Amino acid sequence: MTTIISLMKQVPLPTQMRMGEDGLMDRTKAKSIINIDCSFALEAGLQLKSMLKDAKLIVCSMGPPSFEQSLKKAISMGYDEAYLLSDRKLGGSDTFATGLAISTMIKHLGFGKGANEDFIIVAGRQTSDGDTAHVPSQVAQNLDIPQATFIEHVEYKDGHVIAKRIIEGGYQVLKLPKPCTLSLTPTGIPPRRPSLVGAVKAKNTEVKILSVEDINLSDEKIGLSGSPTIVAKVVNIKSERAPVIMSKGDSVSLQVESLITNIKSGKNTLQKVEKKEAKAKVAPEGYERVDFREGASGILTWAELANGKITRPSLELLTPAKNLANSLEKGTKVRTLLIGHNVENLAQELIYHGSDEVIVVNDERLEEYRILPFSSIFAQVIEKYNPEITLFAATTAGRELAPRTAVKTQSGVTADCTGLEIGEHIDRKNKKVFAPILESRRPTYGESKLATILGFHCPQISTARAGTFEVPKRDENLKGTVSNFKPKLEDDDFVTEIIKTVRGDGGLANIFEADIIVSGGRGTAGDDMMLIKELTNALKEQGINAEYASSRPMVDMGISEYARQVGQTGKTVRPKVYIAIGISGAIQHIAGMKESETIIAINIHPNESIFSNADFGLVGDYNDVVPELIKRVKEGFTFGIKKGK
Amino acid sequence: MKENNKLEVDVLIVGAGPSGLSTAIHLANLLNKDGEKKRIMVVDKGQEVGSHILSGTLIKEQAFKELLNKEEFENLPIECEVISDDTIRLTQQTSSPLPFHPPYMNNIGNKIVSLSKICKYLADTAIKKGVEIYPGFAISDLIYKDNKVIGAKCVDTGIDKNGEKLKNFQEGSTVFAKLIVLAEGSRGSLAKKVKTKFALRANSNPQLYSIGVKEIWTIKDDAIKKGEVYHTFGYPLESKEFGGGFIYGLGDNRVELGFAIGLDYEDPTLDPHALMQIWKQHPFLRNILEGGTLTQYGAKTIPEGGWNCISKLYTDNLLIVGDSGGFVAMPALKGVHLGLTSGMCAAQTAYEALKANDFSEARLSLYKKLIDKSRIKKELYPVRNFRAVMSEGLFVGGFKFGVQLITNGFCLLTPHLPKDSLSTSKLSDFKNKPFKERFAGKLEFDKKLTFDKDSSVFYSNTHHDEEQPTHLVVRDINKFSQININQYGMPCQYFCPAAVYEEHIDKSGKRSLKIHAENCIHCKTCDIKTPNDAITWNPPYGGDGPQYQNM
Repeated sequence: MTTIISLMKQVPLPTQMRMGEDGLMDRTKAKSIINIDCSFALEAGLQLKSMLKDAKLIVCSMGPPSFEQSLKKAISMGYDEAYLLSDRKLGGSDTFATGLAISTMIKHLGFGKGANEDFIIVAGRQTSDGDTAHVPSQVAQNLDIPQATFIEHVEYKDGHVIAKRIIEGGYQVLKLPKPCTLSLTPTGIPPRRPSLVGAVKAKNTEVKILSVEDINLSDEKIGLSGSPTIVAKVVNIKSERAPVIMSKGDSVSLQVESLITNIKSGKNTLQKVEKKEAKAKVAPEGYERVDFREGASGILTWAELANGKITRPSLELLTPAKNLANSLEKGTKVRTLLIGHNVENLAQELIYHGSDEVIVVNDERLEEYRILPFSSIFAQVIEKYNPEITLFAATTAGRELAPRTAVKTQSGVTADCTGLEIGEHIDRKNKKVFAPILESRRPTYGESKLATILGFHCPQISTARAGTFEVPKRDENLKGTVSNFKPKLEDDDFVTEIIKTVRGDGGLANIFEADIIVSGGRGTAGDDMMLIKELTNALKEQGINAEYASSRPMVDMGISEYARQVGQTGKTVRPKVYIAIGISGAIQHIAGMKESETIIAINIHPNESIFSNADFGLVGDYNDVVPELIKRVKEGFTFGIKKGK
Repeated sequence: MKENNKLEVDVLIVGAGPSGLSTAIHLANLLNKDGEKKRIMVVDKGQEVGSHILSGTLIKEQAFKELLNKEEFENLPIECEVISDDTIRLTQQTSSPLPFHPPYMNNIGNKIVSLSKICKYLADTAIKKGVEIYPGFAISDLIYKDNKVIGAKCVDTGIDKNGEKLKNFQEGSTVFAKLIVLAEGSRGSLAKKVKTKFALRANSNPQLYSIGVKEIWTIKDDAIKKGEVYHTFGYPLESKEFGGGFIYGLGDNRVELGFAIGLDYEDPTLDPHALMQIWKQHPFLRNILEGGTLTQYGAKTIPEGGWNCISKLYTDNLLIVGDSGGFVAMPALKGVHLGLTSGMCAAQTAYEALKANDFSEARLSLYKKLIDKSRIKKELYPVRNFRAVMSEGLFVGGFKFGVQLITNGFCLLTPHLPKDSLSTSKLSDFKNKPFKERFAGKLEFDKKLTFDKDSSVFYSNTHHDEEQPTHLVVRDINKFSQININQYGMPCQYFCPAAVYEEHIDKSGKRSLKIHAENCIHCKTCDIKTPNDAITWNPPYGGDGPQYQNM
């Protein structure tokens, strides 16, 4: 009998996490819910059960006793048993220690290699209060079983799991054996509502609470002592938007001209200000300086490929890599690992962008990215080259490859960084200064705070948010070396079959990644948003990563799809430029786009609240203004966004 | 799975408001005293107990004292005691306190409470006594056998807008019960069906309702004292419109305020939400609110017809309590204590029925006898004609009501009031100034003191699953177009306090109805006030709807 194990975390309700008067996120007043991604995983488990003859469904979590309510909810949805690993000693665990604790709990329950191997783990992709997406990969590596993350749909067929994995601009269909771990995105089948009968059952079912002792996990492996990373500091980011600059002019074309002038000259966009605490960071005298690298040196990055080309985020990665190398000892090298089939010709491209050495792994089985062999290769390369820092782009591949590799090297990982610098850590308790150390900064709590994370084990591993760093200037005069690496790979590394890979236009997935979003509201219903779409296409023709979106009424009217709905009940987006056309600016809509860098509002009614949430405004008729804008875009105006590739 | 999707209980109570919980607590007390074990279950459509509870509540504590033991009573979560109570007459610019309290209106010494907090507390109390309470479950229908109620079925979930089952379909469970107590609150959807099916209204007047719109604010220091209470009448209403406002100081810079209007008004374009916004622009309110921030918004209806509008409330295997029954004492603006008392009467009835294992209509008629002996009749009977005469306006009505106070409620020339859906005038018949003209210049909302409906709804925290058939059902879309849109100008777009109904005009100028069911805050005004009774309110998925806290 197959057992489906669902990993679940309880989190504060994101919409109820309100900014307090002190500017801090107030989590205490927020209600607790099952993390959204985890709730989709719970449903995926139930779906799998319907395809397996008689499967047992168990749900596991780690956290304080208050998590019991969410575990009971899982039972009310149809789960059979619930386990909670709850122990004060677990406090302060980072993702590495969490992954270890959860996998140890699963082993304790009798599952794992050499024990009961007939199981499937389903987990949420990431949590809304952590956003790392690490734990499923760490659990899979700790159990030494195959994994597939960012899964939208699962099926069970002939003893295998068929999973649809979201990748940049497309998807992949994978076939996995049992046992395996899957992490689910919140885009597949939404969680079912509990039945009353289920709720009664949940009330009468005991959640089994396990302590660290119960699962035989030693104290030094959990909590702060078991965590290779620490949160060194958290600062508030205050978002400030200056008052809107309105366009002037007697005719539509003059108004549009004025708008363009304002955009070109105005620095009126969202300013993220770090509220810095004025604390001079000088280590008192007499502190011992610790270089914990123990000989590790250099920066290792990964060159991710798509359609036979190096992806843009992988090139971006060379910017912080080079900066870090320059802040370290002279001669610190930036090495890039390039894995694929017949890819030597791409190595030079990496050197032109700043890599000092390209390590090439050439194998026909590695034409497409696969987590198992790639993480194995990374571990082997890290062992050989002993880098102090390893960087991945925070793509769907990078965000699983980093944590899986990190478990192999016993490192912590910092996810989705927007800042990477070399600094030092002053440990006042032990009178030590750890230096040099990688300071990884990442936005957290709905982008309201910036946390600095430190790791004390080499390599220090981080993933960098795509689009944060510039691609380094290509320079054909740059020199570097190319070396080949022959990894040891086993048949087991290829047990997961790639059934197909589809990369296309990307479509709806792109609404999160678009640099410019053209969004239509009620005022654009007259022509079913035709001009909105035309403006978007005109931008695309200029090589801009643009998408169109809409406010809720357009979805209600059937003019736009739900997947394109921006707002409280739709999607939260933060493009470089958000163009709100014919949108009144209901609070619900503003909630979904207020973090956009630049907001341009076009509306026929001057009193709409959209204007108080915009940087640049224009009062005019949709039918007149947008054609003029399209004309200007065709002439080359792209709202200050540079053309992509 | 299907075979197992059933439960059996002794008593099922639908609704965890004050009357349903009072039923549960009192019944558990009676049974526990005998050492009897019976399964009492309460279900509520709110995500939590209290999520759908809204009231501007000044309670008389006596009814709580009767329900609860000393310790339970002493721990009731009270906001504060009323320290001053003034009735203010408003004109467009002025405000003048009445030098006396209108009859039944003195609240000094009464307590200001959050009814949702009280309900959470009562639920915890009931659970300790062995009652099972499950919030988050809505009942779609009662189940009948041989024309008698034998159970209830929860709403099916996981269905798309067109009624197709989705992959996460979950059939609603069925609960079989010896006795079902409907405590759904104002205009309960099951109570409505039962009253029709068993003709329970045969010997009573149609129920009359008000809609009350309520907000909670955080205000600047000392704008109003803790325990300070005001009721206003007059502006912005005209003498023939029945209603007024309330303002209660809660302490800690919080104030709750609300505005209610009888749904027997005539203007098809009248907008109760806008009335509240207009009312807030009066200097008396502005002085209190300016510089503050809105924190919560909500609305509900109040069954205020009084004694003459209470239908028969029992049939085989079924009792109706609280607002679903219509126990509101309008002159005093109070119903919670009567709801509690009706729950206790129902509990006593249920207890006797359980003992005799007889749930027939004859046995359950005890409920009526108990009500007649209780404070319900004592308080409601003498004022039974209050609401009816007030329909004639403040002056005539006020005079007639004064006379009734002497005659124990007897009144010649009592108008017989039709149900509220019949009171609305057709556009062509309405000769007074339409709402927008009447309040021209006051309908631009600044989003600081006053709010448009969409913004207000945001503060109700309402949420509905996108994937479900609309819970607001239009009986006949063609008739709706002919009558409600063409003749009445679609009053629902105005009276709905949550912007659920929108008049959509397409390029050719054709007008049609758009329903934004996801905005619904479950006040049921559409079910009551829509001309031709064209809209029926059904319960959406359990757990959907507003999430009121401390309302």
